[in-house]
Amino acid sequence: MSSSPLTEKPYVEDLPRSTGASVVVSGRYLPPPEDKDGKLWVRTSALVLKDAQVLYAMWRDVEAAPQWQEHLVEVVETGPGTSRWSMRTSNDDDSKVITWESEVLADEPGVRIAWRSIGGDVDQAGEVIFDAAPNGVGTVVTVLQEFRMGKLASAWETLVGRNPKQAVIENLRHFKALAETGEIPRSQLDPHGDRGVIGNFKRSSYGETVPTPTGGN
Amino acid sequence: MKAVCWMGKSSMETRTVPDPELINPHDAIIKVTRTAICGSDLHLYDGFIPTMESGDIMGHEFMGLVEEVGPEVTNLKRGDRVVVPFTIACGNCIFCKKKYWAACDNTNPNAHLMEKAYGYSGAGLFGYSHMMGGYSGGQAQYVRVPFANVGPLKIENDLPDEKVLFLSDIFPTGYMAAENAQIQPGDTVAVWGCGPVGQFAIASAFMLGAARVIAIDRFQERLDLARSLGAITVDYSEEDVSVLTALKDLTSGVGPDSCIDAVGLEAHSNELQGIYDVVKTALFMETDRPSVLRQAIQAVRKGGTLSIPGVYGGLLDKVPFGAAFGKGITMKMGQTNMHNYMKPLLERVEKGQIDPSYIISHRITLDQAPEMYKIWRDKKENVTKIVIDPWA
Repeated sequence: MSSSPLTEKPYVEDLPRSTGASVVVSGRYLPPPEDKDGKLWVRTSALVLKDAQVLYAMWRDVEAAPQWQEHLVEVVETGPGTSRWSMRTSNDDDSKVITWESEVLADEPGVRIAWRSIGGDVDQAGEVIFDAAPNGVGTVVTVLQEFRMGKLASAWETLVGRNPKQAVIENLRHFKALAETGEIPRSQLDPHGDRGVIGNFKRSSYGETVPTPTGGN
Repeated sequence: MKAVCWMGKSSMETRTVPDPELINPHDAIIKVTRTAICGSDLHLYDGFIPTMESGDIMGHEFMGLVEEVGPEVTNLKRGDRVVVPFTIACGNCIFCKKKYWAACDNTNPNAHLMEKAYGYSGAGLFGYSHMMGGYSGGQAQYVRVPFANVGPLKIENDLPDEKVLFLSDIFPTGYMAAENAQIQPGDTVAVWGCGPVGQFAIASAFMLGAARVIAIDRFQERLDLARSLGAITVDYSEEDVSVLTALKDLTSGVGPDSCIDAVGLEAHSNELQGIYDVVKTALFMETDRPSVLRQAIQAVRKGGTLSIPGVYGGLLDKVPFGAAFGKGITMKMGQTNMHNYMKPLLERVEKGQIDPSYIISHRITLDQAPEMYKIWRDKKENVTKIVIDPWA
């Protein structure tokens, strides 16, 4: 069929490549994958006013991830493309710590990183892509993450302040703030008067009991 | 230190709390020399803004002396005198670069709360609920100021605090309201609400070329101040006064070129709609009482501009959008992009073009603040503006 002005969409450009985290494929908007078969998906993106190479390097430096990812205790590189991650399961300093191994599946400097867990307490996979912003100012960072978790557990996590989907969104927010400003804004340690029972309940339900990563400070 | 804490709806207490400490590398600690109660603080006092927590330190209008700076603060040092804008901006995100400072991407640690309510989050604010960041405010002896390289305006003259304090919010807010009103030389501008923001909107409308300003309120002390600036006043509480008729009469039947709603979500009305809004908000069926907004949409001329510096928080009922569409009006609104206005307005104060301290009616201590919230809310003692000396 010959193309006509009605079928051509000159204003919709494909991304230079198509990956799991792509938002536009063949000119069509692609919604994030649906949660099913015990898998949860989250896709989120942010415009960061930094060069893609700088952001790639920051993301790829896995041992520095606890500076901007919530609840992480430590990440240790165990080989080329493999690392061991440990994370707290709640907001208390003495809470249970879970660990897992992770391996990098794709590593294209300045373009994308994909990874998956290869054993341990967590079953997840993810990808981050770095694209030039449409108007050339800054880099669009898109994260797609997939993990397995029961609905009940997800609901419970929401109640105590942070479900894992929201954690992915918050972590990208922290990443952007750290990249753009050199710090992650925090208000949890500001002085205040007596919170009382209701105040403390609100803090928890607003996610304010999840310690904001320090950004390396 | 001492600080004014929100302890629940209609409950403020002056408490002793820990001193703030440096947390991030771009922080500064300010020793507050003067602070003020803002009309928008009354929305918190009355419980209209959600996500307040007991113990929250109030206050977003303050100035003082730099006490301590973080390692990355390069343009301030201990002892500098500064006025601090109520919006916190990082200076580095796409919105700050475009000078939409109040839309900063990075300064609200609780952005997810605002995203749920508004779609996207704006900048963090001092002492203005956890949805707006959960930062402690400046009705205190000390306050932590994030991104101190970007916000605080250094005062390098010997003008007294009272003449420059209002650069922290209400003077720039009134000025941006007049700018948003898109005033052309010779225009007629109507301003609802002659409180502090309304006052500065009136003064700024004249600065931007308005030929006439019509000021609407019900309190004599405020209407007197408005007339002292050159405005024509309309007291809507007087018998036989209809605001819409008055504005028509005063504009040759055309309507004001621009209308400014400097009242916001707790508007009072002596019409039937006033009772309607009180009942609906009491039943949690609407969150705001938009009677001024409705009236301003009705009043503005065809193709005119409606500027809204008054704060709205949530869902509004019976807003005559058909009238807005039918007349093809423009509406502009939002939190003030403070950083654009502080320096130019300081220059106007330095040149003696305006003395913002003319609106001050009460000078108090931190211990007197809780009682003054009540007095201002109940519209007693002819309050126009309350300034606090945290060390008195």
